[in-house]
Amino acid sequence: MPPFTLHHPESIEEAVETASKLIAQGDDFDWVAGGTDVVPNYKWRINPKPHVISLASIPEANQTSRYEIGCMTKLSSLTADNEVHPLIVEAASKIASSLIRKSATVGGNLCLDTRCFWYNQSEDWRRSIDWCHKADCGTGADCRVIPNQNTLCVATYQGDLAPNFMALGAEVTLIGPDGKRVMPLEEFYQLDGMKKNVLQRGEFMLKVTLPKDAYDYEGSYQKLRLRESWDFPEAGISAAWKKGDYSSLRIASTALESIPKTHDDQVSEFVSAWEKGATISKLSDAIRKSVKPVNNTALPPNYRRSVVRILAKRALNNIGCE
Amino acid sequence: MSAGYRQQPGNSSSKRTDGKRIAGKQVFPPPGSGGSRPQMKERDLDYIPESVGGKEPQPAGSHIHDRIRTGTVVGKSLSLVDSNAKVTGQAWYGDDVRLPNETIGKILRSPHHYAKIKSIDTSRVEALPGVIAVATGQDASNSFGVLPVTKDEHAMAVEKVRHMGDLVACVCAESEAIAIEALSLFDIEWEELEPVFDRKMGLEDVDEPIHWRGKYHLSRTNVQKRVFQEFGDRSLVENAHASSHGKWSMEGVHHGFTEPHAVVAHWDPNGRLQLYTPQQVPHYTHRALSTVLDVPMHQINVIRTFVGGGFGGKSDPFPHEMCAAILARKSGRPVRITFDREEVYWINRGRHPSDIEVKMTADDIGRISGFDIDALIDGGGFASFGHVTSYYNGVLATAPYELGSFHYTGARVWTNKPASGAMRGHGAVNTRCAVEVGLDEMAEQMAVDPIDLRLANLLPPHSRTITGFRITSNGMREALEEVRNGSNWDKKFRQLPLGKGIGVGCGFFISGSGLPIHWDPNRFPHATVHIQVDMDGGVTVHTGAADIGQGSTTAVAQVVAEVLALPIEMIHVRSHESDTAPVDLGSYSSRVTFMNANAAIRAALEIREQILKAAWDILGYHPNTLVLNDRRIYYKHDPSIGVSYLKALHKAQEDKGSLIASGAYRSPPMGGVHKGAAAGLAPAYSFSAYVAEVDVDVELGLVKCTNVWAAHDCGKALNPLAVKGQIIGSCHMGLGQVLSEKMVYGRTGHLQNANLLEYKIPSVHEMPHVVPIIIESCDPEGPFGAKEAGEGPLLPILPAVVNAVYDAVGVRFRDLPLTPDIVYKGIERQRRALKLDDCLELPSPRLEHGPMQEVLVARAAEHKTRDKARQRTEDTSHYVNGVLFGFDPNIPLEDQVDGWRMATEPDPEQLAELGLAGKAWLKKTQREMGRD
Amino acid sequence: MTPPADKTIWSATVNKKSVELLINSNAVLLDVLRDQVGTLGVKRGCDLGTCGCCTVMIDGEPRLSCLCLAGQVSKTSITTVEGLADGAHLAPIQACFAKYGGSQCGFCTPGFLVASQALLVDNPSPTDQEIAEAIEGNLCRCTGYQQIIESIQEAAKIHRGEVAPPTPASDPHPDPHPGGPGEPSMPPGHAK
Repeated sequence: MPPFTLHHPESIEEAVETASKLIAQGDDFDWVAGGTDVVPNYKWRINPKPHVISLASIPEANQTSRYEIGCMTKLSSLTADNEVHPLIVEAASKIASSLIRKSATVGGNLCLDTRCFWYNQSEDWRRSIDWCHKADCGTGADCRVIPNQNTLCVATYQGDLAPNFMALGAEVTLIGPDGKRVMPLEEFYQLDGMKKNVLQRGEFMLKVTLPKDAYDYEGSYQKLRLRESWDFPEAGISAAWKKGDYSSLRIASTALESIPKTHDDQVSEFVSAWEKGATISKLSDAIRKSVKPVNNTALPPNYRRSVVRILAKRALNNIGCE
Repeated sequence: MSAGYRQQPGNSSSKRTDGKRIAGKQVFPPPGSGGSRPQMKERDLDYIPESVGGKEPQPAGSHIHDRIRTGTVVGKSLSLVDSNAKVTGQAWYGDDVRLPNETIGKILRSPHHYAKIKSIDTSRVEALPGVIAVATGQDASNSFGVLPVTKDEHAMAVEKVRHMGDLVACVCAESEAIAIEALSLFDIEWEELEPVFDRKMGLEDVDEPIHWRGKYHLSRTNVQKRVFQEFGDRSLVENAHASSHGKWSMEGVHHGFTEPHAVVAHWDPNGRLQLYTPQQVPHYTHRALSTVLDVPMHQINVIRTFVGGGFGGKSDPFPHEMCAAILARKSGRPVRITFDREEVYWINRGRHPSDIEVKMTADDIGRISGFDIDALIDGGGFASFGHVTSYYNGVLATAPYELGSFHYTGARVWTNKPASGAMRGHGAVNTRCAVEVGLDEMAEQMAVDPIDLRLANLLPPHSRTITGFRITSNGMREALEEVRNGSNWDKKFRQLPLGKGIGVGCGFFISGSGLPIHWDPNRFPHATVHIQVDMDGGVTVHTGAADIGQGSTTAVAQVVAEVLALPIEMIHVRSHESDTAPVDLGSYSSRVTFMNANAAIRAALEIREQILKAAWDILGYHPNTLVLNDRRIYYKHDPSIGVSYLKALHKAQEDKGSLIASGAYRSPPMGGVHKGAAAGLAPAYSFSAYVAEVDVDVELGLVKCTNVWAAHDCGKALNPLAVKGQIIGSCHMGLGQVLSEKMVYGRTGHLQNANLLEYKIPSVHEMPHVVPIIIESCDPEGPFGAKEAGEGPLLPILPAVVNAVYDAVGVRFRDLPLTPDIVYKGIERQRRALKLDDCLELPSPRLEHGPMQEVLVARAAEHKTRDKARQRTEDTSHYVNGVLFGFDPNIPLEDQVDGWRMATEPDPEQLAELGLAGKAWLKKTQREMGRD
Repeated sequence: MTPPADKTIWSATVNKKSVELLINSNAVLLDVLRDQVGTLGVKRGCDLGTCGCCTVMIDGEPRLSCLCLAGQVSKTSITTVEGLADGAHLAPIQACFAKYGGSQCGFCTPGFLVASQALLVDNPSPTDQEIAEAIEGNLCRCTGYQQIIESIQEAAKIHRGEVAPPTPASDPHPDPHPGGPGEPSMPPGHAK
């Protein structure tokens, strides 16, 4: 474990203040929620920082209601008993293992670092390939997935919650030295496996908010993985709609690119003239064509891309979309 | 907590004057004090064999050990004797050994696949405050290796590194953080060499072979070992009625034990090395340490800690063990080195990635006439057990079948990857899978049931295989019948809907290796066990058997308890230290139960004899008329005449003190004399048959194994609970290999998944429901009839699943593991070939029995009668492979058949048609090339 | 030379005992437990959250101590495998793992025990599926999980009070045959 100082702010103000102070001192830092993403990366010395600020003791981040889910909410507490949206419960229950879900948080999952088998390796391992674009240790190394380029990082975003929150139209609240921002979740993510999202230095995600009509939506999440425990999604498709209302249909995907994304373009192309039985495969195929997985996860990209069609079809069938 | 067991001995009826319980009152009273129960336990007739008047059924006949059965523990499901240590967290594994004043060692590993070390400068490392000692390859230049014929490893790289992660140097420091920092301060000059990753390239000549074997080196290739074996009548292969030809590609897999390697070394004040290590084979480490450190073996004490899983992966002497010893010697302080998970993969020794080609033929009455195997296996950077693996890939694939001919070419090549080695089912797993799938394919061509095809071609008990292995007990037929009935096979096979499938596979494995590799078995036994019984009546057993979780300590305790009719709590097994344990080869090749328990029985018999003799003195009845039962010895016709165990023991101890006995096991002379005849030779063999059911998600290509009926012939289950645990555990491990596990080497030759997230070991959700079925064929030489149960049960699960997938979707897969992308591709190819729109319209394979079916069923029925008589030794006639083809077992086959061959080198005219690995025979050794 | 990590005072209750330690600010709970508290029953299998060997209970919840920054769990109550047995008594879950083959090499056992104990406290009547979910984060390479699930089901019966805890393992074999004079007369059980 690389050395760092752990800070424990007990309020939003204190957290922002701690961050501002470190920025002013010129010290770099990371936020940590449950630690299930940050700690393994730190153990492998992937971009460690001298300071880490824990969000665990911030009361607002720990609050959960039907419409507002604090970023520190443990995945294991997203259950039907807590009146959480069934789609979110379904997605959460498929994340990693039950033990990891006891530590991992909603905020941590949404802000999950992108992953790549050239990157999620020990320091010695990465040194032996002369680093990569995402963790270049000051060398300006090339991307190892797509050789001879060091402008774009194509590490894959493999969070499970994001496409589901997107399908329900959720918004996120960010807070930082410059105040509070609220935005739709799909705007939170920014293409490029290094940038990942719009969080500014010193800014963190406080909560996710579901729109008032979220509970009218029925959804289904299809996750492709080799094992029903531990594994990140190799591909994930979420679909939700107000049952019977094709215009309300939303589809989002994950684990296929550097960011999770919605498929509004493909959906809108087909929903206006929905033909029972026929449209579903056309739409599924359009979604398949719109994603570009690369070779940096466990299963080969052409396979992951091929089965997006099946996952989309199943998600749609599950919610009664025929 | 109110519920629970009392962990400490204590008698709750004894109270202090204040009413509180007296803690720790001993259960076993001191000699002569009397006990709390006036009557002894009845003899448990259910666990005493029929042949000696008990009620335990013996369908497979009686056993030489029947007369010493006392009904005490053998055959009963028992907790492992060390399970309380494990469930309370008190079991001490490698990293749990914390000696005072310890330092932490770390190893510098090669960042290059293949490179020469031109220089190492350690001055910056030594200057770092907190660093205690530094060592490099220069500190220990003697080579070592698990097999005496291939000592090709060093504590640290001496001249060059052979794979990424190879050991370069090591350092110990006051803390782990300092040691890690120190690793970055080595200044090393490298000269990179051209690495080889592809095993096919290993057959080619290169400038700088990974090792150099002098005059024995094969040209300038990276071939470490090549094997050729041909037996039988090759003319039978012509006119094949059915045939199968499969080319397989199998990825390397790792043992995946949960405990990473760890070692603690300490030189005691007398200058003796005390080395703590979780080893399956402490004795080899002992030998290697002596060689590397230039210290006589008697100045080294190897202490085996608890072993957190081995599966073959902790059976080599390891370089890090040498490093710890070297650092401890330099620093004068204890050194602890613990691997992280990535390092576990760097040291590897997992199953060889392999290219396997199998050609099989059957004749017009369904006999297996031809059986050709070609196996090219990827050894990685070092030899390890590879010499043996090269043979096992061929010779262990023949039985349980009677063959017309057998032809095997194998080669093991070095590549610049972590070394492959021995892993559960050593060398037998991959070819077994290929062979069993081949049988399935031939059955389909002949329109017969694959189980009947197997049943009509089995070798009987007490026979010889085509390569000359001596088979004694053989429960193969019963195993097949059990799984057929248990799974309701006849109602399911080729009758299930698309996506659902059922498949069968068999297995055959050694129960102990016939030859101890370091000495002549005719002069020194395989295993020795010492027993000491002192005045207290407790029995201390000294053995070098290495318990790695399979329960060998329990097995040894059990057999001693059984012979002496003592509660197992009175047997204390001491097996951790080489100072007190007699030399033992440890836990590999499934030898412990067979060899150690046999040695323990012999030692216990000696003690029994002394006690019975004392009882004779006291009672006046000859030992032949005395019965041992629950700490009492009595006259068998009048149980009121008896003497307590302790009293008899004390009588026996008169004039000499504690009783000491030593027992040993050596295997009988057996097997052929051809080159390589010893490989695969074992005093007994285990047999198994599995039926697996799968669900295939036809659209996604995901395979889920749902049910397994697993029958394994372990001779006699000494502890059914432990045997079942081994069977189910084997299913889990084999399932990983067939469905998800692989060591992934990317385009740069780097191991991409050296961690447990990306190395996909099945979780609880992937585990099918397993019905373990124990078959007891009562091995004549096994302890109480027992054979191995640890490795053989892994073999059949792979082909059973592959065959079941075929039954489900009608596509034959020959690339392992069957990850969804592979299955998806296969299904899509089939869909396009059949010009279907949707893969859900694929036809499921169906079977309509052809005329051959009846022939096979009739022959199987005949053979069943034959086998039963032979198993019960009612028929003791000679039987060798070939009788099925009409040969006389009493005349050497080569004298009967013109074309009968027994060759270990190819004829020149064969060279042109050799398979991939066989190409190694096109090369000449340096000596043959005149360069010695 | 890298500057040493900041130190901080850390306190918690470990197996009902209060501990107060000076730890590194960046310390991971697993390291604190093994190297400083001395509860070596907590095992390190992968160090990255994928094997479950390091599972401990933190305020009653099973957690992976290898992913837990110690600083985030100060002032909590931590139970390790060493804390499951109550004095001289094994917890039912421990006794059942021993008796029904839930433990082979034993390295993953502490993690399984803690995870399943946490389950049984919550839910003394789990289905096999619920058990599977509770232990899906624990990796066992020896048993194939089946005997582990059986062990947990047997322990559940004790938790529900359906089955009495078996007789204490300590008194199994009182010596029936005192060595001295006055041997018992006719023992009842013998083979002809």
